Amino acid sequence: MDPRHAISELVARSCMTLDDKDFAAYLELCDPQYRYTITAYSPEIRKDMTWLEHDREGMKTLFTNLPRHNSDQSPITRHVTLYTVEHDEAAQKAKVVSALQVFRTQLDGGATELFAVGKLHDTVNLAGDKPRLLERNVRLDTRMLGYGYHIPF
Amino acid sequence: MSRNAQEWEERPNFPETHFVSTEIYTDEALFKEEQSKIFNKCWIIACHESELVNAFDYRTFSHPGGAPLIVIRGEDMKVRSFYNICPHRGNTLLYDPVGNAKRITCIFHAWSFNPKGDCIDISRGKQGYQERFGCEQAGLREVKTDIGYGGFVWVNVDDDSCSLREYIGDAMGLLDEHLSQPLEVFHYHKAVVETNYKLWHDTNSEFYHDYMHYFNRITGMIQPGYFDRKYTGYPNGHASVGSMAIKYDAYEGSKARGVGWPGLAPGGWVLIDLFPGMTYNLRTSVLRMDTAIPLGPNKLVIEFRGLGLKSDTPEERAERIRDHNTIWGPFGRNLHEDLLGVYGQGRAMRERTDSKWVIHGREENSTIHDEMGMRHFYAEWSRRMGRPAFDPYGTRGIKAAA
Repeated sequence: MDPRHAISELVARSCMTLDDKDFAAYLELCDPQYRYTITAYSPEIRKDMTWLEHDREGMKTLFTNLPRHNSDQSPITRHVTLYTVEHDEAAQKAKVVSALQVFRTQLDGGATELFAVGKLHDTVNLAGDKPRLLERNVRLDTRMLGYGYHIPF
Repeated sequence: MSRNAQEWEERPNFPETHFVSTEIYTDEALFKEEQSKIFNKCWIIACHESELVNAFDYRTFSHPGGAPLIVIRGEDMKVRSFYNICPHRGNTLLYDPVGNAKRITCIFHAWSFNPKGDCIDISRGKQGYQERFGCEQAGLREVKTDIGYGGFVWVNVDDDSCSLREYIGDAMGLLDEHLSQPLEVFHYHKAVVETNYKLWHDTNSEFYHDYMHYFNRITGMIQPGYFDRKYTGYPNGHASVGSMAIKYDAYEGSKARGVGWPGLAPGGWVLIDLFPGMTYNLRTSVLRMDTAIPLGPNKLVIEFRGLGLKSDTPEERAERIRDHNTIWGPFGRNLHEDLLGVYGQGRAMRERTDSKWVIHGREENSTIHDEMGMRHFYAEWSRRMGRPAFDPYGTRGIKAAA
């Protein structure tokens, strides 16, 4: 059976739950062996950079610590378009590439601006009762994020 | 007790050395003066030698004094810097921030230059200029360049400036033994923030703002030795802060650092602020370098670099990268807080907000929450500007103590 529909739902929900800051629901979409990274290429130093790297437990700790920090509270909206799905039936996995745009809306007045663009490179585990994210690399094209943001994209 | 308008405007009840007028953070004319009297007179970090590994490698740099620069390694492996301005019609010579150029050719009319700054070809030169003008008169404007203090490439657009060594003096003493091995940049990003460059440097010049950083409060402020660290001031406005042992595993999810730094005690942390806007921040396993490039009184570009040892194994490098980005990456715990803080200052301190004074009055025997780092900076600022930071235009009616 073509898992594209289920995968599309998974990727969409992974963004919607983070948009809503429902971190518990986000983690429910992640495999116990989940690995998350944010990477970007710097032409200035001609190197790939890894800006964030956590396993599932690390992501959970990050979310737990968030309220203890001073953070920009402007909500961000992740917009995802599923591009390609490579289904490996034997391994019960799929490699998924999606386009990502992140918008930030100011609390004061509600002006929205484009915050970042990039791609999501996911590996989805299709074994089990429902698809789960096994690995996500947020590959950013945008390298200037102003004063930054605490919540991962 | 709240204050009325007159009370708000009154000078703070401190010596003139212990406060500044917010005009120095907001005034356009003062900013232009800073570009000529400060940035165009001081040694500034343009890039790192590891960004120019091969002959003809170059980086471009927006000098805070205004000039666009090319920093390029020649065939002789010497690094030189030039204005990134074609002497013909003023075009930008190199558009990309990085590259390799054995021959620099202007896209406009194909005038060409070599990495020593010589003009080597003027297209149809004899036909257009006859004997009146030629390559000999069309060389690039060269800028003083030196490499030092951890392999950073320094530039000074003032041909009459002192040497880099004279400029730094003893200020880098605390880091001397820790910068003896070749370093490599593994992280680079920029942030544009609507704030004044001095507000960013102020934040790097005091640790009292650790109240803003949950990470630092847990791993540092409540740990032994935190309040023992002392500020030391040096000539030319530089300052340093000595080390303590950071307890990284006190922050949930954080571990004690497995990778160290040559000569630095486990968990150690050394910070050196260099006038007018660079900070060496050596924190246990990572060296961070901030360079401030102001675009106006209320707009600042900050370049952030993270460095490790050139000799790192892949595993050591991976750990340094994680250590760096956990707190200092664009999604790191501390950097976002620091940038939010100075953004907030920029918002509250624009012209017409009626902001008046910034107080640098804490005295704690030069220990970590003392504000002498900033007082030291503004003493140098005032000297170079020929204006007192507490009343730069003499309109606040404050007379300096005799």
